[in-house]
Amino acid sequence: MGSETTTVTTEGTELVMERVFNAPRELVWAAFTEAEHVRRWWGPKGTTVTVVEMDVRPGGTWRYVTHGPDGQDAPFKGEYLEVVPNERIVRTFVFDVEPFNDHSAVETLTFEDLGGRTKVSTRSRYSSREALDGALAAGMEQGATETYDRLADILTELTTGLN
Amino acid sequence: MAQDDPLSVTFAALADPTRRAILARLAEGEATVGELAEPFDVSLPAISKHLKVLQRAGLVEQGRQAQWRPCRLRPQPLQEVAAWMAQYREFIGQSYDRLDDYLQELQQDREKEEGK
Repeated sequence: MGSETTTVTTEGTELVMERVFNAPRELVWAAFTEAEHVRRWWGPKGTTVTVVEMDVRPGGTWRYVTHGPDGQDAPFKGEYLEVVPNERIVRTFVFDVEPFNDHSAVETLTFEDLGGRTKVSTRSRYSSREALDGALAAGMEQGATETYDRLADILTELTTGLN
Repeated sequence: MAQDDPLSVTFAALADPTRRAILARLAEGEATVGELAEPFDVSLPAISKHLKVLQRAGLVEQGRQAQWRPCRLRPQPLQEVAAWMAQYREFIGQSYDRLDDYLQELQQDREKEEGK
């Protein structure tokens, strides 16, 4: 059993999740980029996953289908935008069911070597298809994160205050 | 069009730092357009334009009666955004818990093989 937990913060409309895995970076990279490994862990607890395709190179696509304990299938797909072996993956993430498949999150995964352990940072920015097309046109320039931004606090206040 | 669905409209409205700052100000209470414009180095019409986007997204409403027509925050669309994010976060979080276990398994298998 691992003792680590995933830390989560939000910056603007970007979600940042960090997790340290007790394994060397090459192995963690393989776990994210090779189908035989992905099918062993991807998806929520209690589900299994079929890796329909994963073509890990810029412009390549991925498609996974998770199978829930209730027999329900959920398809996910996306496109690889940037791949730097052992270091970085930028890809889109789409829950491929109407009406959600109009939305896309851009995931930036970075793999940091901590000497036998590996920190994986997952930055996810949600966008509409239009917003995404705009981002692609702009060369995926994400720019500096706004420091001016209290959205995370607002979201927390509002969701706790009104439940 | 994707742009018509509420979540996309909300995210588009949130994509601008001035608009997020306006929401942050309104989270503290009602304000007039003039009060909202104060901290920014932009014209009143520019602020009105941002407010229109926020109103279209249903994030802000403006009073009708009083002549200064104060703006106030409507939190419902933000909760939809928060819900989407919470779901995604849960998905990834649970996956990473499974990956953690799987990586341990993988390494134990490797050690066994090397020990042979």
